[in-house]
Amino acid sequence: MTYGLTSVDVSFGDVRALHDVTVEIPAGQVVAIVGGDGAGKTTLLRTLVREVAPDAGHVHAPSKAEIGFLPASTGSWAALSVTQNLNFAGGVYGVRGAALDERRTALLATAGLSAAADRLASRLSGGMRRKLGVCMAIVHRPRLLVLDEPSTGVDPVSRVDLWRMLSEAAAAGSAVVMSTTYLDEAERAGHLVVLDAGHVLVQGSYDEVRAGFPGTVTRTGSAVRPGWSWRRGRERHEYWPDGDAPPRLPVVEPDLEDIVIALSLARRADAGARA
Amino acid sequence: MSTKVVEARSVTRRFGSFTAVDEVTMDVAPGEVVGLLGANGAGKTTLMRMLLGLLPTTEGTVLMLGGPPRRERRRRLGYVPQNLGLYRDLTLTENLAFVADAYGTPVPALPDDLSRYADVLVADIPLGAQRQGAFVAALSHEPEAVLLDEPTSGVDALARATLWDTIREQADRGVGVLITTHYMQEAQQCDRLLLMSQGRLVAQGSEADIVGSTRALVVRTDDWAAAFSALNDAGAAVILDGRTVRVADAGRDEIARILGAAHVDASVEPVPATIEERMLVLAHQAR
Amino acid sequence: MIIKEFRELVRDHRTLALLVALPLLLLVVFGYAANFSVDSVDTAVVGPEAEQVAGTVPGFFDVSTTEPSEAEDHARDLLRDDVVDVALVTGGSGAQALVDGSNLFAAQSAVAALETSGQDTSIEVLYNPDLKTSWVMVPAIIGLILTFIGTIITSIGLVREREAGTLEQLAVMPIGPSTVILGKVTPYFLLAALDMAVITVLGMLLFDVPFNGHVLTFALGAVLFLLVVLGIGIFISTISQTAGQAIQVAFFVLLPQILLSGMIFPLEAMAAGVRWIGYLLPLTYFTMVSQGVMLRGAPITALWLPLLVLAVMAMVVFTAATLRFRRDLAPERKVKSRPRSTDRSRSGA
Repeated sequence: MTYGLTSVDVSFGDVRALHDVTVEIPAGQVVAIVGGDGAGKTTLLRTLVREVAPDAGHVHAPSKAEIGFLPASTGSWAALSVTQNLNFAGGVYGVRGAALDERRTALLATAGLSAAADRLASRLSGGMRRKLGVCMAIVHRPRLLVLDEPSTGVDPVSRVDLWRMLSEAAAAGSAVVMSTTYLDEAERAGHLVVLDAGHVLVQGSYDEVRAGFPGTVTRTGSAVRPGWSWRRGRERHEYWPDGDAPPRLPVVEPDLEDIVIALSLARRADAGARA
Repeated sequence: MSTKVVEARSVTRRFGSFTAVDEVTMDVAPGEVVGLLGANGAGKTTLMRMLLGLLPTTEGTVLMLGGPPRRERRRRLGYVPQNLGLYRDLTLTENLAFVADAYGTPVPALPDDLSRYADVLVADIPLGAQRQGAFVAALSHEPEAVLLDEPTSGVDALARATLWDTIREQADRGVGVLITTHYMQEAQQCDRLLLMSQGRLVAQGSEADIVGSTRALVVRTDDWAAAFSALNDAGAAVILDGRTVRVADAGRDEIARILGAAHVDASVEPVPATIEERMLVLAHQAR
Repeated sequence: MIIKEFRELVRDHRTLALLVALPLLLLVVFGYAANFSVDSVDTAVVGPEAEQVAGTVPGFFDVSTTEPSEAEDHARDLLRDDVVDVALVTGGSGAQALVDGSNLFAAQSAVAALETSGQDTSIEVLYNPDLKTSWVMVPAIIGLILTFIGTIITSIGLVREREAGTLEQLAVMPIGPSTVILGKVTPYFLLAALDMAVITVLGMLLFDVPFNGHVLTFALGAVLFLLVVLGIGIFISTISQTAGQAIQVAFFVLLPQILLSGMIFPLEAMAAGVRWIGYLLPLTYFTMVSQGVMLRGAPITALWLPLLVLAVMAMVVFTAATLRFRRDLAPERKVKSRPRSTDRSRSGA
């Protein structure tokens, strides 16, 4: 079963948040939505779970009872304990009694939260709280799992745990989509979508994205065209969309960070030219 | 007489029976960008607060610009906390005016890409620009050292690169920078790294020093889902990487055995471990 | 530092409104509403000499009903049902004045006027023979405390979800907005009902306030009033982003009720321009019910007006609150403001 959005437009008043966005979320995979603040990641996910109604286009998603959602904000109730939070989520989705107990124990074990089962959510660290939120979103084995920046601000070890939980859900047959600002996670995803100012810049597997990337990226000490270069470590990289870099400049094999930045710059130049 | 901008000598901090920082010795030299890494609860924030003079040590000494932490010396430091430190219901310009007034310095000019947000409320500015604005405010009084707590959290790649431009600029001018981050690719941009775990400083130096002797294996197979499940169920420290599976701190034979028992046909090869995998191993040991 | 605080204050519209509008409100109220002395009381005259007495009675007594064919029992009924505040009974063994003690200031003024009129009238104060303030205040305070609980606690409780960000999560779960509202209101309703019972009993025990009427009538009024007050609380929560804002609005709603519901200053004594505000406040009507039932033992038929008003208020407020709440939980279209990027700072190392 493949879920997703087809040619979706979303506006809030005068502001267009999404332009003609088409995204596929197939079951059994983790799809990563990449983009900066304001790119439209949250709007995309909220449209997918039908929290926002699109102005145009079509949304393919299962019913609310078969969706698991973790918003960018908390995801758990601060005044309730870990166990109480999970029980509430289970109850809402119809997981009760012995089935709930079993599922809860298993989830807490996977998330490494068993020792904190009776601790109040407000007393958990950021990473642990996010993991709790993920547990609550998958307690009912949803067909579509949607997570908004689950790993932002979370420590590396918890991020690995989170990633493992998502991978498990995908391996078990759910369609999983998450937004992130961490490109290493995007590189690890089966399928990634790069958003910029409400447009899809590129999507596909990491290999496909790299293969389809137009132009070249060069490595320089100082920029030839300042509007097209950015810092990497101690050097600068520069993007030549038409591949017309001066031959003396060393060329680099672009990684995802290069690709994302380069495409953003290109889009901005486009928009500027048209304006 | 120390030439370091901030320095901790065998610093320990206890809260009751809990030791948050345990005999940590570190320093930041002028012009250096030092990355402070560690899981939550490792003691990074506590250490930072002691370096800023906001928290006294239980044992050990903290030196700020060569001397004990004092308010006059703290004026020569800059600090960007995790939640920015900007007033959300004031505009960027108003925030900068306030900071300039507080330090008695002239109001700093806004860089070009922020100028269009000059009179916009901070709450209405995109996160990347907010963080940039916080930088400008923290650097406005030309500090000799800057401490940054997760300055690029939640920010996109281009904005992150721009922030690092600023960090490098400052370092090139002789400012010492201490930065905490959870993003390993960002750690690679630092001159030197410090890894904390459970209050202790467990490694410092280059990325290779941090990774240390941690081993990692890559499992390649068509049936990645089965390989992942088998290894996960067996309790191995697995990370799913696209279509391959990475395993940290495990012997090759052990992994091959588990896969064989699960009837998964796969190749298993050793690869260089990552910083995350070192941290994963530390966490497993702690549990 | 001063400049910064000023700038922030100017942008905080609600606090500004509170600081500026509140003193103005207090001034207006104390100017026009604060008046303990009643100018005239509604009076009925019954008995064979009704017509004559009605003509000779001092102007203070505003005779609205003259019923020569009726006797003392009817007069008592008129008082019990709050049709008039004073009833003069003629015929029989001399003039008799019956005064409604549950309307404290009117009663005090009436008694004074009767005593100074020189006429030999036997005065009987009903329902509150010693004209005790506490007897009149306690029924009103029961309502006041509930207004407080209902409005403030509900608005904070619901705003907490919005502040915490968990409201978004509820919106995506397969539970309808009605379920959410019901789940959120019920605990506060039960708590408030319990509170009301406790306060009523305590008030009766401590101050010897009587309870002359039917418990069910009182309960009906209480339930309707609770619904109004909780509905206002929910509504406030839908227009507030933070608990602080919710408290400010709740305070704004609460204060007029203390001053203008007839609890402290009698409604009749207020200038007409301000009195109409009192008639818009739910506490005014609950006080009519609670005083009517507790002090006068009034039957439900006599209290139909305040009960009806409360019922209508409850419906209106709940409908408005539910509609607004639905907007929070249901798919948005053409919302004016762009969803703000959430604060990403989490508890760090």
